[in-house]
Amino acid sequence: MRKRGLGFYASIYRKILIQDLKSKMSYRADFVISTFGMIMTNLAGFVTFMILFHNFPTISGWDYDHMLFLYGFSLVALTPVQCFFDNNWNLRFQVQSGDFIKYCFRPVNVFFYFMSEVFDVKGLGQLAFGIGTIVYAWIKIGIPVTPLIIAKLIVFLLTASLFMIALMNFAAATCFWIKGSGYVMVIMFRFKDFAKYPSSIFQGIFSVIFTFIIPIAFIAYYPSLVILTPDNVPLLSWISPLFGILFFYLSYRFWMLGVRKYDFTGS
Amino acid sequence: MDGLTGNEAVVMRNVCKDFKVLNRHEGLKGSIKDLFSRDYKTVSAVKDVTMTVNKGEIIGYLGPNGAGKSTTIKMMTGVLEPTSGEILVNGKVPYKNRTENCENIGVVFGQRSQLWWSLPLIESFKLLRDLYMVPQKDYEEMIDLYRSLVDIEPVLHKPVRQMSLGQRTLSDILAAFLHNPPVVFLDEPTIGLDVSMKSKIRELILGLNKEKNTTVILTTHDMGDVDALCRRIVIIDKGMKIYDNDIDHLKNYFGSYRTLKLKLADDTWEEMLIDEKTTDVMDVIMAKQKESKIKDVKILEISTEEVIKKIYEGSAK
Amino acid sequence: MNPKRLLALTRAGIMEALQFRLGIFVTLFANLIYLVLVYYLWKAIYASSGTDVVNGMTFTDTMIYLILATALFNFLEMFVVWDMSRSIQSGKIALDLLKPMRFRKYTFWSYTGNHVVQFVLTFIPTFIVVMIVTKGAINMGINLLWFIIATVLALVINYNIEMLVAPICLFTESTWGINIVKETIVLLLSGASIPLAFFPEKARMIVQYLPFRAVYDIPLSMLLGKSGSDTWQGLVSLFGLQLIWLVVLTVAGNLFWNCAVKKVTVNGG
Repeated sequence: MRKRGLGFYASIYRKILIQDLKSKMSYRADFVISTFGMIMTNLAGFVTFMILFHNFPTISGWDYDHMLFLYGFSLVALTPVQCFFDNNWNLRFQVQSGDFIKYCFRPVNVFFYFMSEVFDVKGLGQLAFGIGTIVYAWIKIGIPVTPLIIAKLIVFLLTASLFMIALMNFAAATCFWIKGSGYVMVIMFRFKDFAKYPSSIFQGIFSVIFTFIIPIAFIAYYPSLVILTPDNVPLLSWISPLFGILFFYLSYRFWMLGVRKYDFTGS
Repeated sequence: MDGLTGNEAVVMRNVCKDFKVLNRHEGLKGSIKDLFSRDYKTVSAVKDVTMTVNKGEIIGYLGPNGAGKSTTIKMMTGVLEPTSGEILVNGKVPYKNRTENCENIGVVFGQRSQLWWSLPLIESFKLLRDLYMVPQKDYEEMIDLYRSLVDIEPVLHKPVRQMSLGQRTLSDILAAFLHNPPVVFLDEPTIGLDVSMKSKIRELILGLNKEKNTTVILTTHDMGDVDALCRRIVIIDKGMKIYDNDIDHLKNYFGSYRTLKLKLADDTWEEMLIDEKTTDVMDVIMAKQKESKIKDVKILEISTEEVIKKIYEGSAK
Repeated sequence: MNPKRLLALTRAGIMEALQFRLGIFVTLFANLIYLVLVYYLWKAIYASSGTDVVNGMTFTDTMIYLILATALFNFLEMFVVWDMSRSIQSGKIALDLLKPMRFRKYTFWSYTGNHVVQFVLTFIPTFIVVMIVTKGAINMGINLLWFIIATVLALVINYNIEMLVAPICLFTESTWGINIVKETIVLLLSGASIPLAFFPEKARMIVQYLPFRAVYDIPLSMLLGKSGSDTWQGLVSLFGLQLIWLVVLTVAGNLFWNCAVKKVTVNGG
């Protein structure tokens, strides 16, 4: 059999993406409304944040600017899951209706083929919003701008997004076993709203749970400490990239296991 | 697997497939009970099926709803793993290496389009060409072949979502043959189509089978499909194979059956199926004549549809 | 309308919701984790503030408010926008419109079964947990009755907001966009994500009179005895607000729906 390597997948993804964008151009109204919706959710999140700080000047020892940085960090970290893995939201409908089977008939990785079908442009609006917030907080806190710090920022942003992608993969794949599991995804997506708070708010057993089992603390808190407190970076922050890759890999295996184990009787 | 001649496209030996399902109870009380119930039962969708399909054959894989046809197809395409038994498609075990198996098969699943919904067909073709790594030359040859067999111009630049059901089915069949796979599975390809579209699609399948010597495994409820395409049929009911032979043999086997139609005094037609080996047609007519005046008599060959119906009924007994 | 038929729809809805058994347990569990998150966050917030009462809300008040808001949210959640968009795309809308019941009524009563299941499975357990954890911080008196009445009104108002938004799907395919705008506005302005008491004075003045508040804030305020619901005048004005919006939204929803349906019939659906 001819080999399908990374280059093959990259080229296929690019081609599907171009076609997809072309066809999306024909739905301008949809694009405008969706973008408006995306701006609205981000604004609402921001307003909630402002109202909170209007009443409480610090949270768990973190001041406004640092919290803002964490907030921006979490927004950027959410972009990849929004842009590239949005089709997870359709998974349970496709599995239930039996349409999912079509992804199993192509000589490519099922996970890749399924995710390649949707590229969500709206996520880019969130990215802009997040970058703006990070830059603002960066200046206010007075973090120096060096190539090393920028490189660190990018690496740890990617790390953070791996955790988010993995969480959504796990949540979406539950539909292979559990009927009516849609709520798991909704609530997992809502968990991300807590990523923008310092994980020092959790205590005892829940600190362990939200770090290692439902790793909300890794979506923004631990990775961002590398930038925010360069003199005092916990070990967990340094190993978060490895942990992120592992977690993503596990979620991928779980997703694929679901495909293998599923009966495909829904027809 | 032993005893193969090398001319087999698909081989199945003693294939079984079981599913575990929850016993559901009726009514509102039952629904609440089911919340905590662990009362599972095993349902055998396919029981000990053995069959061989040779290269270049078009076989009809028939059976009533829920007989286990789709499950068999899903096992042959590598989506489901059999509970026991062996399957070889193009000499390989399909579920062991799904990706490799997919390169060598084409699949059309009834009314479920596998094409990119919002893309024009030609763009879908180009993406498929890349996915299956079809050389440009072969791809162009295939498109030319399509042009010679069917008028593809009206659909080529149309997004799949805007197509009629017939156009969509046509597109899906073309897409399934695009990488020139040795075996193609067609599940209910003509369901819901009008008469002219049906015959168009049958001609296309015949043409592709002849030009490329593609093995076609066809499941359908439409006896028109069977008559037009299949030389051999396999019938499955309740998961078990109940018939596997040439379609001519089928007609010979039931060849002594005739449909007798009598027009009675009140202008109504009465129909009955008669086995000439055991019953004399004239006796029946004369017996009937004593009850009522007969205005007209017709004796018809048994149709495939009726033969199949008889086989289903036979297995039900 | 024959009430027996409406009850039959409700019963079918309950049975359908119970089909998803594992889903129900998972939902309960996920909800519990979510509540833990809310608890720790607000505990930290109050710990950092140094005072026990912020804007008239103690930590316990805020917790009860937010937890029950989440429980209410799960209980009130409807997918009318998604359902409608799916039935438009599949062409099923034409069938729905032909059903012997008026479409709006049909949708409402099919959802009732789901509401009942959600109420029993999410709201009541949450309520009991809150009761035990806060050791009777919720006053068990006439306020419970007001809360139940206000919740039923909230349910109808929420449904009317859905039905006001859903027909937009007949004009555009942007279901996600429509739904997210609706959800964002409702969640923020109804006080589901942050209690309205924390809003700045001027913002609160405006939000107070919008319909969204009638969905979450009013029932919860009544339960907690806030926003003047402990006086007769307060009660009357809160219920009055709910009723006014209920009437306005029902009328507006009816008008908009009829206009939208006309458009569908003209286009041949």
